[in-house]
This record gives sequence, C-alpha cells and structure tokens, in this order.
Amino acid sequence: MQTTPATPDTDLQADNLRRAAIDKSVKGPVLFLFTNGAFWLMLSTLLGVLAAIKLVEPEFLGDCQYITYGRLQPAHINALVYGWGIQAALGVMLWIMARRSGQELKGGKSLLITAGVFWNITITFGIIAILMGKSTSIEWLEMPKFVWPVLLACFLCYAWPIARMFGRAFRPEGFMVSTWYILGACFWFPWIFITANVALHCLPGLGAIGAGIDAWYIHAVILLFFVPVGVGAVYYFIPKITGKPIASAQLASAGFWSLAILGGWTGMQKYMGGPLPAWMTSVGACAGVLLLIPVGLVGLNHHLTTLGKHSSVAASPTLRFIFFGALFYPVSGLVLALNSAFWTGANVQFTQSWYAFQVVSLYGFFSMCVFGAIYYIVPRLSGCEWLSVRLIRNHFWFSVYGIGTIVIMSLVAGWQQGVDLNDPDHWDQTFMNHVVNSRPYVVSRAVAWTLISFSNCMFLLHLLLMVAGLGRRSSAPTLLEHDHDDQALPHEAHA
Amino acid sequence: MTNFRTFILGLAASFGLPWLCLIVLPAMQYEQLTPVAYDKDKDGVEGFFPPAPINGQGQLVYIREGCNQCHTQMIRPVQLGLDGWYKGWGQDQEARPTTPARSNVLGDYLGEKYAFLGIQRVGPDLANFGFRAPDKAALYQHLYSPRSVHDWSTMPAYTGLFKVQKIQGPVSEHAVKLPKKFAPAPGYEIVPTPEAERLVEYLLSLKKDYPVPGQSAAVAASPAKK
Repeated sequence: MQTTPATPDTDLQADNLRRAAIDKSVKGPVLFLFTNGAFWLMLSTLLGVLAAIKLVEPEFLGDCQYITYGRLQPAHINALVYGWGIQAALGVMLWIMARRSGQELKGGKSLLITAGVFWNITITFGIIAILMGKSTSIEWLEMPKFVWPVLLACFLCYAWPIARMFGRAFRPEGFMVSTWYILGACFWFPWIFITANVALHCLPGLGAIGAGIDAWYIHAVILLFFVPVGVGAVYYFIPKITGKPIASAQLASAGFWSLAILGGWTGMQKYMGGPLPAWMTSVGACAGVLLLIPVGLVGLNHHLTTLGKHSSVAASPTLRFIFFGALFYPVSGLVLALNSAFWTGANVQFTQSWYAFQVVSLYGFFSMCVFGAIYYIVPRLSGCEWLSVRLIRNHFWFSVYGIGTIVIMSLVAGWQQGVDLNDPDHWDQTFMNHVVNSRPYVVSRAVAWTLISFSNCMFLLHLLLMVAGLGRRSSAPTLLEHDHDDQALPHEAHA
Repeated sequence: MTNFRTFILGLAASFGLPWLCLIVLPAMQYEQLTPVAYDKDKDGVEGFFPPAPINGQGQLVYIREGCNQCHTQMIRPVQLGLDGWYKGWGQDQEARPTTPARSNVLGDYLGEKYAFLGIQRVGPDLANFGFRAPDKAALYQHLYSPRSVHDWSTMPAYTGLFKVQKIQGPVSEHAVKLPKKFAPAPGYEIVPTPEAERLVEYLLSLKKDYPVPGQSAAVAASPAKK
C-alpha cells in the first residue's frame, strides 16, 4: 500500500481515509458473522466435550435419547463446520477482499445481513433436527435435506460481492496471493456443496458410491475451502504485520496451483479396501500423500517470510495466532498423509485418526488463522482496542494446548485402535480390548475440548465487549509484550 | 480482464477434472448397475445378486440414531485388516473358518440409497451381522441395556426405543429379559416399540456375504454346505 514518496503525509492520510471508508462499509456483515460464529464455536466445543464423555461413559446425564453419542457427535461437527467455520471464513474473506481490492462494499448490506440471519436460523433448525432424530447420518451433511438450498443461497449472497470486488479492483501493484486463495474458496465451495448435495439428496441413490462422494466432500471442503481461506489470511497478515514482503512469488504460485490440482482428488481413501472401485481409493490416497507438496511449499514460504521477525510473533496477538495456525498447516498435511498412505492408512482406518485430521485442519489450522485475523479486523471495525492482554493470552495458550492434546492423543489412539482391531490374537474375542484401551484417549479428548471451551468462553466474551463498543479507547493496539514493540512493529502494522 | 478470465479457467479446470472423473462419471456408471443373475453352473446358486434386500424401514432408525458413528458395514480384504478372519464376521459361522470372509463389492449395497459404510469402528462391523446375530430377545436386551451384556460396553442404552409398562395380565411374550440388576421395578415390564422391532429386523437383514456372480465362487459358495 505504499505509493511514491512525493507527498508522504497527504498520501498516508488519504490512504488511511480510504481504508477507514472500506472498513466502515463492511462493518455490519463482518461483525455479524464473527459474533454469531463465535457463539457456534462455543456451542460446538461444549458439544465436543459432551460427545467425548458420552463415548466413554454412555450413562452420563442419563439414557436420554437426544444426547447419545450418535447424535451429539454430528451436532458437534456440524456446529463447528457450518456454524463457526464457514461463517467466520466468509467474514474474513469479505474483509480481506475489500481491503485488498480497495473497494468499498456498495449497497446490498441489508441483503448480506439477511443472508447471515437466514444462515444462522437454518443451522439452528438443522442442529436441533439432528438431536431430535432427523439426522441423515451422512457425515458432514447430517442436517436434514431442506437445509442445503438455503445455505447455498446464503453463501452465494456473500460470494457474489466478493467476486465483484475482485473484478472491479483497483490494482496499482498487482495482486497478492491471498486474493487468489479467497477467490478460489468462493468459487469452489458452491461447486463442491452442490455436487455433494445433489448426488446424495436428489439422485435416486448411489449406494457405496454415495459413501465415497461423502468422504470426497469432507476433504474437498477442507482442502478447497477452509485451507484456502486459512492460507489466504496467513499470506495477507504475515507481510502486513512484519512489514516484509512474501519471500517468494514462485513458491506462492506453485503452492496455490498444486493445491488446486490435487485438492479435488482426495478423500475416498477413507474407504480403502472397501466396495468402491480400487482406482478411486488409490487415487485418493496418492493425492493425500502428494498434498505434502503444496503444504511444504506454502510452509516454506511462510517460514522464509517470518524469518527474523519472531519477536513480533511474541508481541502481536494477530501474528501469534497466525504463526501457530501456519505451523499447524504442515501438521494437518502430515496427518492426512498418514491416514492416506497404504502402510499406515490400513492401520488407522476407521479410527480416531480421521477425527484428528478434521480437528487439526478445522481448529488447529483454520480457526487459529481466523482468530488471528479477527484480532486484527475487529478493532478496525468497532473503533476500539482489545481490552485485556490476559484474555487474549489465555485464549491462545488454552487453544494451543487443547488442540495439541487432541491431535496427539487422537493419533496415538488411532494407532492403538488399529493395533487392537487388527491383532490376529483377537480373531475370536469381543471388542473389550479395543474399547478399554481407547478409553484414556477419549478421556483426554474430553479434557482437551474442555480447555478449548474455556479459551473460547474468553474469546466470546472479549469479542462481545468489542462489538458492543466497550473496548479500550486508544490509538495504540493491544500488544502481548511491550518491551520491543517499537522495533518489532513498523507503523504500517497499525493501519 | 484476460488475466482474470485465465485465472477462473484455471480454477475450473484444476477442480473440474477430478470432479468429472471421480464423481460424475462413476455416478453415471453406477446408475446403470442392475442386479446380476447368477449362473447356476458356475455359481452354484440361482436367482439374482444381491439376493436379499435390507429392511429399509429399520434402516431409518439406524440412520436416525447415528449408529454409523461407531459401527462400520464394510469387510476389508485380509491384506488390509483382520476383518475377514474375525469369528462369525462372514456367512461361515464355523469356529475356525477355512477361508476369510470376502471383502465387500459395489453390488452388495445395490438396494441401498446410501451405503452406511461407517465413520469409526468403535464397535464390531455389522456388514454380515445377520448371519451371526443371536435371537431377537438377546438383541432387544443388547439394545435396551448394553451393559447388562458387557459391563465394559460404551454403547448407549437405547431406552427410548422401549416402553416400560405395568404388567396387566400375563407378562408380554416380547418383554425384554434382563438380569436382576437391570430389571425394572416389580410389576413392570419392558416391551420394544415398533421402532425397536424394525431396527432389529434391519440388523437381522444385514447379510452381505452372498457369493458374487462369477467371482471366487469356490470361496463364497462352499462354506454353507458342510
């Protein structure tokens, strides 16, 4: 955002005014999405705790049929994906795209808010329906049939203005890679969503192919929607805050296109050895391992960009979340490769290891990046600064410990479950070993979700105070460490 | 604007190829599949494959309760897992079967709108449960109170599928028989609702180990006659 230094003061002022105007234009919809998303995240983590407890001790809270594991688990994941994930993603996408393309949101604000309201009402109905026993039991599409056209329409209400901004963009210095990712996410999600829903809800019945399509849907949504939004945010905020340009344009471009090419092939390896034609699961497994390439390229690029700026990771809340989110990107790639590769995948098939992938990519990677983005965006929209360093710090550490525990424990649990399932000595035994051995891991999962719930309590509270305009009135941002912030953060970081 | 157009084209092409190859074409091919007739000389049986449909009404209960969160319905080949060798997981209920149960093929799920292959395997696989299922009374007991069967079980007790009612006249013949510790108050009995009955019918109809026409006929068809 730098222009010729002929009249730096007036230029800077004009620039700041332009930014303020853009922020003001997207304020309503973005804050609406973030706040509602945070509520859903809160609910989802609580359901996660409850589901994990019910998996160990099914009699907890009585034998009520509305809260069996088979209903809680889908409710938990659906709240996480549709309630929090997609909503928060849309907010970040809208803001970054408006800023990057230098476009104000022209009109249609009430349409966006209406779409947001409908999105939330629909998901509320959907999740209540799951708990009441109207679930379709199709993973990630458990909400009843009537939900998807509404969700699609609401999503398109947001995707259209985002794409329009890109089209009308004023681009003096070319485009940054973050806009590619965000546009990609806008473009791919409706395609994936329509395909899966039409195939599974409208076609006369696809039997085992349907199960394959569902596995593909989950991975496509993660890899071609959540990952692009997360990576896009990382590419936007790291240079913004460190003041360094992205290390390599070639790496960025290679990382983007290899993800685009590989992302749509993977998923069906979940049913390797199953009724699906063998080539389909094999292709999925291959792509699952090959995805280490884009993951590695992007990871390397992020590493090179943050190199030497680690002091600002300690100071800036945004950069700290983004940095750890970016660290979890390679981790989620590794978990996927582990689940996909034949020599490990056969062992961890149908175990918690697959849950580990969903959680690490959705919470460890995507949500951490989005938290970082929210810590940057919200003060600019609400006109006040974050109140408390302690709340931010607790949010960060409890999230990191929680998600770290879930990922490590689910992987170890997956391995243990696989060994128990496939141990030849167990050929004529009941599932006692299997159930008893995996118990401690599920308990740790409950503990980890409790930590995360706690961290999200603070996040939600903090966010609500900010949205209500009760933040700190100050021109200086809330930083986590004040010792060396003058050096670590260039002036642009506060813009 | 050409740049923008190439970019969108790139996005469409990179995703369109897997979409076409992995989703659209296989789905179209699947729609052409019809039950295959057995060849009596080669397969040793008559009729069509798959021979027995699942109980669709009962499957609705299975779907509603999210049973597939913990139970798979998919036997893997022996090079991937122990599935085929588990006792009673195939048609052959012998103590030590000579051959493993076969892994599932696309045709096994032909009559189902969506195959509930499963998410995790917390409990045993149910693909061929119908062959090894105990009698209905034992199944009702397992559904009503899993811990009365195995004290380590983490299966939820589906008490909502049963009705506790005052005994009027003789005890109902369908009443669930429970060990003392789990039994209802004296003078009361537990009877399955129609939903539980349908769910049990469904579980009993899960038989996916019939011989595949023209494939491994010796393996699949022989164990039944012994």
